[in-house]
Amino acid sequence: MFRAMLLKEFLLLLRDRHALAALFIMPSIFILIMSLALKDTLGSDRVLSSYTVVDQDNTAQSGRLQSFLRDNSALQVHEVILTNAAQQQQALNGALHFVLSIPQGFAQNLGKEQDGPSLLQLTVASDVKPEVLAFFQAELTKGIMRLRLEKMQAELAPFLPDVAQRLEAMAFAGDGLVAVHFNGMKANEQPTSTQQSVPSWIVFGMFFVIIPMSTVFINERKQNTLMRMSAMNISVPVLFAGKIAPYMVINQIQVWLMIMVGIFVVPLFGGDALTLGHSITGLFMVSLGLSLAAIGTSVLIAVMAGTVEQATTIGGIINILLGAIGGIMVPKFYMPQAMQDFANVSPMSWGLEGFLDIFLRGLGAEAVIMESLALTGFGAGLLLVAGMIFSSKMKRGA
Amino acid sequence: MITIKNLVKHYDNHVALNHIDLSVGKGIVLGLLGPNGAGKTTLVSILNGLVDFQEGEIEIFGMPLNRELHAIRKRSSFIPQSLALYDNLTVLENLRFFAGIQKISGNDLHQNIDYALTVNRLHPLRDQKAATLSGGQKRRLNIAIGLLNNPELLYFDEPTAGIDPESRNAILETVRSFKNDGKTVVYTSHYMPEIENICDDVAIIDHGRIICQGSLETMLQGEKGDSVLVELLHASKAQLSELAGNHKGVEVIDAATLMTHHLSAREMGALLTALEAEHIALKQIRYGTTNLESLFLRLTSQGSCDV
Repeated sequence: MFRAMLLKEFLLLLRDRHALAALFIMPSIFILIMSLALKDTLGSDRVLSSYTVVDQDNTAQSGRLQSFLRDNSALQVHEVILTNAAQQQQALNGALHFVLSIPQGFAQNLGKEQDGPSLLQLTVASDVKPEVLAFFQAELTKGIMRLRLEKMQAELAPFLPDVAQRLEAMAFAGDGLVAVHFNGMKANEQPTSTQQSVPSWIVFGMFFVIIPMSTVFINERKQNTLMRMSAMNISVPVLFAGKIAPYMVINQIQVWLMIMVGIFVVPLFGGDALTLGHSITGLFMVSLGLSLAAIGTSVLIAVMAGTVEQATTIGGIINILLGAIGGIMVPKFYMPQAMQDFANVSPMSWGLEGFLDIFLRGLGAEAVIMESLALTGFGAGLLLVAGMIFSSKMKRGA
Repeated sequence: MITIKNLVKHYDNHVALNHIDLSVGKGIVLGLLGPNGAGKTTLVSILNGLVDFQEGEIEIFGMPLNRELHAIRKRSSFIPQSLALYDNLTVLENLRFFAGIQKISGNDLHQNIDYALTVNRLHPLRDQKAATLSGGQKRRLNIAIGLLNNPELLYFDEPTAGIDPESRNAILETVRSFKNDGKTVVYTSHYMPEIENICDDVAIIDHGRIICQGSLETMLQGEKGDSVLVELLHASKAQLSELAGNHKGVEVIDAATLMTHHLSAREMGALLTALEAEHIALKQIRYGTTNLESLFLRLTSQGSCDV
């Protein structure tokens, strides 16, 4: 019996191009676009700002400062020649965030106490975020401090060679001073935009079963196919099980297809490849719970809606709202605390947190038990309510 | 085969079936006739266990419906008025699906599908998507699905609604073949010629009550003769009642319809003259109306059976 139901749902889905697009193509495209779009925001080797340098000092020290900046992959230098203020303004209205001016006398003033004019002049484009400006300023300060240290080391070397040697060693200690470990990730691994995007759009895509499910269900109800099946001794629980099983399989196909897109397709377009995390069991637990939640929502909408148009409109709106609240559209860490707390009302948020535990934080199955149970309970509850409403409607002949 | 006693069904304050008693013998084709909203579909839905009822007893195959619904359904089949099938599946896929959910497998699956295809002349269309079938072909597929469990009892709810005469004849022929196979059929329809054509017994239902039930032959015995249906424009029942009182053999069916019985040409001429004098315009005069139709119209207007 289930085989027949499974086959029927698959055949209907395979012959419905719009549903296939909503279930498989739309989330794949979202994953690709968002992974690439957020690469510079969430990636490890992202470029935060671009700048150019007007060096009026032309000394070894001014050259060294530029060299320090070039070593930082988050800062991208543009070799443009700016000879007047108009050119500078034009550059800052275009691709550049900063114009760094190194005035004449920079090298000379390095060792002096700071009571005169500033050592460097920085002109900033009007759309630069404060945190990017702070980062660039910190890099410049760091560069100046290194140059000062080098200068002191050179001056001390003839008199205190030991101290000078230690200063040299300290000056070039570099980034190794602070070891960074990302929670749940191996050494040298960093969260990428793909790790963030794939879970989000898997969750969103899974809830899109609302469209094909409600379309088939409402057509079945309107054409009395459900009534006919009921007259063939198919009870409501069996009828619902016949819906749940195929769409759970479809949801699992979606999950693995999206994962494959993250692993194989995103890198083809220059994005980072998805890494799977360490718990396939956890992944199944979350995806099955999420599937039940999505199917429960779909069946309830299908049972309550009068027409396919109503169901697809209501379903689409609910999907977008749950996604917006649940951190799919905007990652939760960008939200203020109150919104982050509010996000927890959305089952999409539970599923997303579960997936992030697996994909991003590298946690195991035990970490996603609560999310999986919450999703399963949510889905089962909705199915129960849908079953009661449907049975009542059928018995009343509505 | 079917025994219904004192069946009552109401939706909130609306009484859909009002103390219905009905019996259908084995191998009989029963025509269930009634105007729209009379309760035909509700009755058939109840007999299939699809809709609850408030009072009464129903036995099918000698088993109480409320306790043996599962067993009864295995031996019966309901062919709904709507096309309860999947447009995006082929004819064969539809049949396989509905057979599959009834757990029909192995040899039975092949034999029953073959039987359903043969009886409904669907073999050449077996690999065609249902969406591409004509209205009549879809109706035949709708019936074919109902034959998959090789039922002893079939319920047809308006199976020929909205299809061409050729397809209608094919379906009627199919129903007649069930009778030859010893199957029992409950057939609801608006079309009197269909009922006269294929049914042994007729039950006329109106306002939730069975107003007449019996063998078609017995019922029509009292209807022999020349009935003429006179349909009018802009008349009132009071006017027509007065006219009927003045003319022998004239019966008022409703505010726009008269029926005459055994009227000579002169009597008919007098009636038409009287109508003209009352400025009542004629819509149409139908000679040779079927006997069942005249009986049906008379009974549904009177609300009782006197045959």
